[in-house]
Amino acid sequence: MIDVSEKFLVNRKIDWHDDAKYGPSILPDPEFQKYSILWFRKSLRSTVVAQVPFIDDFHKRMYDRGENLHASSNLKFPRVSIPYFRIEYSINLWGGTYLFAFDALFNPEILMEKRRGKILGKDGSLIHILKFNPPDENILNISLPKGVMVFDVRNMIKVIDYTSNF
Amino acid sequence: MRHKNRLKSISVYVPIEKVEASLSEIGFLLIGSSTIVANGKFWNKMLYVNKDETISVSEELGDAYPKDPIITICGSKHTISSITDGVKN
Repeated sequence: MIDVSEKFLVNRKIDWHDDAKYGPSILPDPEFQKYSILWFRKSLRSTVVAQVPFIDDFHKRMYDRGENLHASSNLKFPRVSIPYFRIEYSINLWGGTYLFAFDALFNPEILMEKRRGKILGKDGSLIHILKFNPPDENILNISLPKGVMVFDVRNMIKVIDYTSNF
Repeated sequence: MRHKNRLKSISVYVPIEKVEASLSEIGFLLIGSSTIVANGKFWNKMLYVNKDETISVSEELGDAYPKDPIITICGSKHTISSITDGVKN
């Protein structure tokens, strides 16, 4: 804990990433439960398959029932990935820069919607839709006493996921 | 008179339910929660607010044992001592 009368400058940088770093197989059970209507796995780090057909609205992709979403033999390349914010706080203190960084996963929202398409037909069919919502910014803040200024730098990075083409 | 806020971060070996009860007892409300990943570990981060004071409570997700929620308080000296005493008793 720093408790001095001097003011400190804190820089905050938020990048939005979508680079397949977080796939469903590596999520701990409480987080995986949020997707349990759509996805099935036996245990942590085992293969994840689709329980029902669904559309990943964020990546504009459709998955069929039984489709492999994240293979246990290929954990680094999930076929479904969870977007996230990378938040970096840095503070310059007595000539040194100290970094604190963490990732905040987007929250899933699962709905039933009527969609049309090649597979779903001209009249459309009801299908599960998976949406990803960014986490509330308040929660990502590190609360600091009033005398500290926070400089906010934002970047939006979208990395094209080529793994879906393999 | 408004008190000057201070910063305090503590790790406690008590269940998250006890921490939540202690916070609501002194008027803090849960504003929201998010899943974060720091140092390769998944955490559930919850934010509590009472006027200009904020408290974040982070608990590791998964099978980690023992559970030791981390409480970060940006609040008055009085709030800090009520919480540290509240989670001890």
